[in-house]
Amino acid sequence: MKALWFLIPLYLLPLLIRSDVVLTVLIFTFVLGILAIGFNIVFGGAGQLTMFHAAAFGVGSYVTFLSMLHFSIPFWLGYLVAVLIVVLISIVIGWICFKFRLKEFYFAVVTLAFAELFRLVALNWTSMTNGTLGMLVLEKPTVWLPGSGVIKIEETVPWYFLTLISLTGILIFSALLMRSWIGRNFSAIRLNEDLAQTLGIDTFRYKLLAFTISNVIASFAGALYGFYTGYIEPAYLAVAQSLDAIAMVLLGGVSTILGPVVGALVLTSLPHLIELPAEMRVAVYGMILILVILLMPRGIVGLAAGLVKRRAHAS
Amino acid sequence: MLLKVENLTKRFGGLVAVSDVSFGIEKGEIIGIFGPNGSGKTTLLSLLAGLLPPSAGRVFWKGQDIAGARPNVIASLGVIKTFQNPQLFSELSVFEHVMIASFLAFTRMKDHSRLRSFLAPGKGEATLRARAEKALTLCRLQGSSEKPAAELSYGEEKMLGVAMAMMCEPELLLLDEPASGLGNDEIQNLENVLRDLRAHGTTLCIIDHKVAFLAKFADQAIALQQGCKIAQGRPHDVLADPGVVKAYLGRSHHA
Repeated sequence: MKALWFLIPLYLLPLLIRSDVVLTVLIFTFVLGILAIGFNIVFGGAGQLTMFHAAAFGVGSYVTFLSMLHFSIPFWLGYLVAVLIVVLISIVIGWICFKFRLKEFYFAVVTLAFAELFRLVALNWTSMTNGTLGMLVLEKPTVWLPGSGVIKIEETVPWYFLTLISLTGILIFSALLMRSWIGRNFSAIRLNEDLAQTLGIDTFRYKLLAFTISNVIASFAGALYGFYTGYIEPAYLAVAQSLDAIAMVLLGGVSTILGPVVGALVLTSLPHLIELPAEMRVAVYGMILILVILLMPRGIVGLAAGLVKRRAHAS
Repeated sequence: MLLKVENLTKRFGGLVAVSDVSFGIEKGEIIGIFGPNGSGKTTLLSLLAGLLPPSAGRVFWKGQDIAGARPNVIASLGVIKTFQNPQLFSELSVFEHVMIASFLAFTRMKDHSRLRSFLAPGKGEATLRARAEKALTLCRLQGSSEKPAAELSYGEEKMLGVAMAMMCEPELLLLDEPASGLGNDEIQNLENVLRDLRAHGTTLCIIDHKVAFLAKFADQAIALQQGCKIAQGRPHDVLADPGVVKAYLGRSHHA
């Protein structure tokens, strides 16, 4: 939980920096960080390599927006509909995968196939989703603030705070989860599933729980993302989106609380820091990613924690 | 009767690993199951722990049929099995190993609210930690508590398996060849631990191929050969049984 103090400077940042570019990069960091935290719970926690999180992300944005549109309800109620649907989808897919004891790459491939299925639905159900063209989102989330009543989140700074508060909430939840008996059971499953089961842990139930929690968190990131960018398209559900989140977690540090956020920050800001022609940029960016993962198998946070420990040991 | 096994059979294709075995275990008793390699001892234990589904027969735990139930269900009823080759959660320390095995103890804590322990682990966590210390002391591992489990010797790894099992507060502990691969000192240590477990009131079912080792502890012995029970009774009587002698030595004493 101590790690969360690092968030305080982020709350003060808008007082110092007015640059829209910096705040925008940070908003993307927070939203994609939430997606990465979700992935870290199921992969870094329970050891299940899911490829479904991008689909949950996409379903989150589509369902939130479509239910607002069709039922004329506010953003948060629309998101509630998305949560219900994502929980249902997760239970069905998780049930199929875990009943058939799919592990590692088999689990990854089957969840990837399900994710593609949902992407194809988003692509081809044109009457509902507008297909490849995507949908413009003109609605904005609203929040109630004491003193100012209900306000719309439109400008950069309100978006900054909405996404930062959301990130903080999700981080606190994930820290509590990982140190609770649930997180302990997740670790037991990740490290030795057969042993976990003989120690009385219902591995099926806890894997299903990890998968569902992770997808609900991913869907929240998706809802925020779609409404912030003002645009929803089938590419949100694509495998590239899943891989981005995986890269963030690997880079930041698997199984650490802050790792996914650090990874999201690096991978979101890197393209802006390296000023290269577009075609070079992707290559350089890929090389940096490969090197970092090879040289820091426990990610940035894992490396930093190791250094702090070593220093404490030496003094 | 704590555990009652009726006509338990396990076939792997054409091979009958356990054939029509029946016996019972009373509370507080130590039962030793022995037999040469390949006689079906480990398979029998795996059937009891739910790691394998039986092909036929029934297993009653306090009157409830548990044959074919999932391992975690059987574990939550109070039957815990250790492994012949130590199973570990590799990257964790010894103490973390025992803590990660605390789930059943956690679910049985009377004054716990799951929501409260989610938001503020405090008190329940302290109870579990105290219990973990106790399990480690019982297994003579208190000195290695902060060590990474990967640094333990083979014998210590096996003791850690027992400590994790004891953290689950088993009523019946199934020990799969606890003495195999141990040095003499470690066997002595194991014997002391087993005496403590018995004093603790845990019912034990131990399988081993070292007859002398089992004979020291067991109240009751069962001899297996090629999946069949060939003798049952007090250890000394079983060891003197002509069938057992023949199975072990390949011929009868009197021949």
